[in-house]
Amino acid sequence: MKLSTLLLKLLLLFAAALVVLPLLWTLLNAFKTNADLLVSTPKLVFQPVWDNMSYVLNRRSVARALTNSLIICSSAVLLGAVLGVPAAYVIARFKNRITAEARFFVLSLRFLPPVAIAIPMLVIWLGLDLYDTRLSLIVTYLIVTASITIWLSVPAFERVSLHVEEAARVDGLGPYATFFRVALPIARFQVFGAIAFSFVLVWNEFLLAMMLTTSKAKTLPIIASEMSQLGMNVPWGILNAAVVLLSLPPLILLGVLAGGLNAAFSKKTDQG
Amino acid sequence: MRRGRSLPYVFLGPTLGILIVLALVPTIYAINISLQNRTLSAPNADYVWFANYLALFSDARFLNALWVSFKWEIISVTATMVTGLAIGIAMFEAASPRMRNILCVLFIIPVLLPRVCAAFVWKFAFHPLYGALTWPVRELTGITPDILSTPLGALLAVAFVDVWQWGLFFAVIILKLLESLPPQPLEAARIDRATRFEIHRFVTLPMLKAPLISLLLVKAIESLRSFDLVYVMTRGGPGISTETLDMYAYSQGFIEAGKISYASSMAVIMMVLTIVTFTFTWKRLNR
Repeated sequence: MKLSTLLLKLLLLFAAALVVLPLLWTLLNAFKTNADLLVSTPKLVFQPVWDNMSYVLNRRSVARALTNSLIICSSAVLLGAVLGVPAAYVIARFKNRITAEARFFVLSLRFLPPVAIAIPMLVIWLGLDLYDTRLSLIVTYLIVTASITIWLSVPAFERVSLHVEEAARVDGLGPYATFFRVALPIARFQVFGAIAFSFVLVWNEFLLAMMLTTSKAKTLPIIASEMSQLGMNVPWGILNAAVVLLSLPPLILLGVLAGGLNAAFSKKTDQG
Repeated sequence: MRRGRSLPYVFLGPTLGILIVLALVPTIYAINISLQNRTLSAPNADYVWFANYLALFSDARFLNALWVSFKWEIISVTATMVTGLAIGIAMFEAASPRMRNILCVLFIIPVLLPRVCAAFVWKFAFHPLYGALTWPVRELTGITPDILSTPLGALLAVAFVDVWQWGLFFAVIILKLLESLPPQPLEAARIDRATRFEIHRFVTLPMLKAPLISLLLVKAIESLRSFDLVYVMTRGGPGISTETLDMYAYSQGFIEAGKISYASSMAVIMMVLTIVTFTFTWKRLNR
């Protein structure tokens, strides 16, 4: 083996360790008592305790935030998908100036700084007496989910062969039936990946949730960040437990995403 | 009229309509609020027109935030691209197909983690007394290094977490891009006895110029969303050395003064800056 290959392998090993070790470490820390955690020399062997996890799981604020997160994120994602996927199909299939502009407009929604949405939204929701409600966050998140779903689904539909759709038309399917019975099933994996990605984005979203909620509609990331302010001593064990729980849903979606994203991005190369 | 001609209108129309309303209403509101002297505590407000904007440019903290945001963009985007390229090429050159699959899944994990979580994981690793990352230094020298308390260290530490999330993810994308290239030019270069470095420098990377520039732009856009990282790791500190624009707007509008109009004028400036820059660049690239 050449020396350079060896060095490159070492680099890859280092990068992999940089991903695996901190995550394993956090998982371990979630089961440590503060006495085991707050030591100068990190401990690998310790008596695992379930206290941190049960503290996090049994807090009412966490249960409520979990419900909020689930309801808000799934509603925003579902609405975003219903609005976004058909729109993406039109942008992919009907190439003209209007759809090109629409595509760019959707992308430009991503340019908007979150603060620039959060501040006026705060004033609007206060004015409508909807501030700190789930509905207000769902509508706000719709900007994120719909635009990302469209952006990532367009390449998925562009890949669906025109010949297949042509064949469907010859067989007497109308445009709507072609979409639902031909194009959508063919592109389903990538489209699902796009929708899953939009879920991860809003599940992880912090700034908008922080500015648009005060108590009732708080989501999980807000609660997790608040735990660092409990009392004088940062409860690191509890914090680690919260981090583990908060990270689980996106990681569960990873399997789905791995297929979807790969395909979405390898599409780019055809143009490049 | 042929059956189903309505499809483009039915599918695209409502979506575009809703998105335009959702984007335009806040934008108009933001501009409107920024021309007033509204605060969170008082319900009434008067129009002060451009007073907020004028005040901003004599506000040293705003100019600092502008400078920090600029530094943040440059550092995080450059470091992410360099890491992505280095690790992407390393995977392309030195990893077997099986290894590549495992590494790709691993390298996608960080970007999927909530940024709040990523920030906590590393904040604890950097902890001067108990951190696993600072442990060797403690053991060997006896001093307790507090990276997050120095201005430069804090900025670099936050950037490190950002690169941990995005750089590794970009490595996966860059690997996929490299795999999609036709093999002939690479073989020709190998026959000409080009070294690996030369192959990538003169053959593959120029071929991937367009997608790489799009990636750079995507990262530049995502780098604007650094609020959660900064908020959890440093709160803009020490002092105001990592206070980015969104952090400062947040503290002006919500924590310190509740000066929602002042914060809004900042948001409007950010919005104009980013939209003009990115629209211009994107349109130029895709011409």
